[in-house]
Amino acid sequence: MAAREFVSIYREALPVLLVSLAGGLVSGVVLERVLGQVAVFPGLLVMVPVFLATRGNIYGALGARISSGLHQGLIQPRLERNDRLVNAVFASFINAVGISVVIAVISWVALQLMGWESASLLAFLLIMLVAGVLTSIVLILGLLILIFWGFNRGYDPDNLVGPIVTTLGDIFGMLFLLLATMVVGVML
Amino acid sequence: MTGAPGALGSWQYRRIVRTMFPLLVVLSVIVLLAGITLQDAEELLAEYGLLAIMVPTMIGTGGNLGAILSSRLTTRFHLGVVTFDITDRTVLANVAAVFALGVTIFTALALGAYLIGLLTGIGELQLDTLLVISLVSGLSVVVIAVVLSFLATWVSYRLGIDPDDTTIPIVTNVVDVFGMVVFLGVSAIVVGL
Repeated sequence: MAAREFVSIYREALPVLLVSLAGGLVSGVVLERVLGQVAVFPGLLVMVPVFLATRGNIYGALGARISSGLHQGLIQPRLERNDRLVNAVFASFINAVGISVVIAVISWVALQLMGWESASLLAFLLIMLVAGVLTSIVLILGLLILIFWGFNRGYDPDNLVGPIVTTLGDIFGMLFLLLATMVVGVML
Repeated sequence: MTGAPGALGSWQYRRIVRTMFPLLVVLSVIVLLAGITLQDAEELLAEYGLLAIMVPTMIGTGGNLGAILSSRLTTRFHLGVVTFDITDRTVLANVAAVFALGVTIFTALALGAYLIGLLTGIGELQLDTLLVISLVSGLSVVVIAVVLSFLATWVSYRLGIDPDDTTIPIVTNVVDVFGMVVFLGVSAIVVGL
């Protein structure tokens, strides 16, 4: 029985982890480019892990909510103006924008406290807001479309949320972070 | 509130934000430590680009494995079959599977980074060096993730809170921090040799 349990966990989790690995490697290639932007925005790297982790926390929660809503029949598996769906999406957008501001502020404060070289608070705020809003749009839409698509094909959405969020979050989070540093670099 | 038919209840956006935002702030402060560690290692990463490529997977995989183990332990709790006896064979099978997954993923990570190095020309590290860095730091993080998962499940159980809401996110984010610190520490030692 123990051996069967071992094989079943391994076989269930491996595909998901391999998909996350692919996403992580793409994200890593982009991170290598982000390193070049540290010369323009000193201290930039402090925000990177927090920004990525937050994507997982916010959209993982949204995905779990949508998933239980589907199971309970509270929402339908299609993009429509359902009050519950609209509220859940709006809440994750507010959380994402709000936490972007928090990340910029705590990262900037940490850099001041340690006496490390740092870009301006305004630069950090703009980078986080641009990256946060763009990532939100892609992740919310991508998550909903993929969960609904999977649900309509008979997959349990509970098993889809984790890998979708990690993979899309890693790739698009890092891409939009790089893009945001370029946009803000031109603006300031 | 609960009695009103058709009411949004827990789907009301204000309620979602009010319950979730404070947790997000706490998690951000925790993961800030990973950011400080990353910024501190900037020179190492700028010199060895392949290490930068490994960072997102390094910080994510430990948390993913911790989440898998935590949710399995939690389900067993709900079913009332769990004991905290580490000689329990089913619990051991869970832990062994998580380690086997770790070995597979961290080997694949080193291979993936090496291949990207060959393709892009960002290749300053040999495959054996990458394997040592990836497996030593990866498996150390798995040990931390396993210990924290047991601890968190036990604490949730004792306090009577649903692990899905708080303890699993906390374990995942704390493991992220350990992933970053251990990976960059091991990398600095191996590359410096």
